[in-house]
Amino acid sequence: MAITFFSLGVTLQVLLIDNGTSSTRALVASVVIFSATSQFAYLAVRDGGGGDWAAIAAGWVVATRFGILAVSLSSRLPQGFWRRAAASINAFDPNVAVAVQQTTPWEVEREFWRTTAGMMLGWFSGLAVGTLLGNVLGDTQRLGLDAIFPAALLAIIGNLLRRRDGFIAGIAGAAICLVLLPIVPAGLPIIVSVFGVAISLIMVRVPGEPRTRRSESASDGEQS
Amino acid sequence: MTTLSIVMLTIAAWGQRLVGAFLIGPWLEKRPILARAAGLIPAAVVMAVIVQLTVARGSSLVVDERLAGMSVAAVLVWRRAPFIVVVLAAAVVTASFRALVG
Repeated sequence: MAITFFSLGVTLQVLLIDNGTSSTRALVASVVIFSATSQFAYLAVRDGGGGDWAAIAAGWVVATRFGILAVSLSSRLPQGFWRRAAASINAFDPNVAVAVQQTTPWEVEREFWRTTAGMMLGWFSGLAVGTLLGNVLGDTQRLGLDAIFPAALLAIIGNLLRRRDGFIAGIAGAAICLVLLPIVPAGLPIIVSVFGVAISLIMVRVPGEPRTRRSESASDGEQS
Repeated sequence: MTTLSIVMLTIAAWGQRLVGAFLIGPWLEKRPILARAAGLIPAAVVMAVIVQLTVARGSSLVVDERLAGMSVAAVLVWRRAPFIVVVLAAAVVTASFRALVG
């Protein structure tokens, strides 16, 4: 897991610096924002010619993923506002996936922080290396680094796309973006793609009666 | 990145986690269909970002080397290859096509 976050950190810094952000600013941004996917979404809209606010809106929509991860984690932790808040703001896909597989609240908490420690080690050393690399790489287009960006995102949501409803939502979101891209201002296609969720909900019915939570919470744990 | 964007995205990433854990979470527990919808948002939106990054140049659609790199990446993600392998393969394939064509 540390290796994954290390490569994610390197990738993000190289792309930010390539995009014209100074290395100090890129480092500060990645440390405080603490969300590679939001930064990727922001950069995507800016690269596409969108304005600052359109790009920020895209980053916000993408960050809902973390809210959802925090939801599945928080209720499984031991009681206590600070203890839950501290864990929630560190909620990422892998540590939540490992934590929710534990049985008692204390085990959930222990495994969560253990996985988090490994991830952070990888993430911060990756940021440092990426910042250094970003300044010496030169022509990043020639090295194919622009393709790293969408590939990294796909790897992040890979497990979600493995589920039938996740796959249909993804394809619908992609199709909406593809159709709207040439006709509406930059940034808007990404925001409107949220409606892909509605298409998936209509097309995929949860097996059994609609009120059971069991099948959902089981599959939620899988999206690491 | 602009200073405004750094501030706003920080609020987005930290704030949505806290709001999710303390406000929306308990509320969603009672509404399974909305919980399911919320869980699917990342799939739809991130796929849209991927489309933009792979086939868009400004606001026009283009097919170029990036699509080749992404196709390889998609197969590797499907085959559960490690993150570093997916990312490196995408870069190498895109760069190779670019070198061949350009």
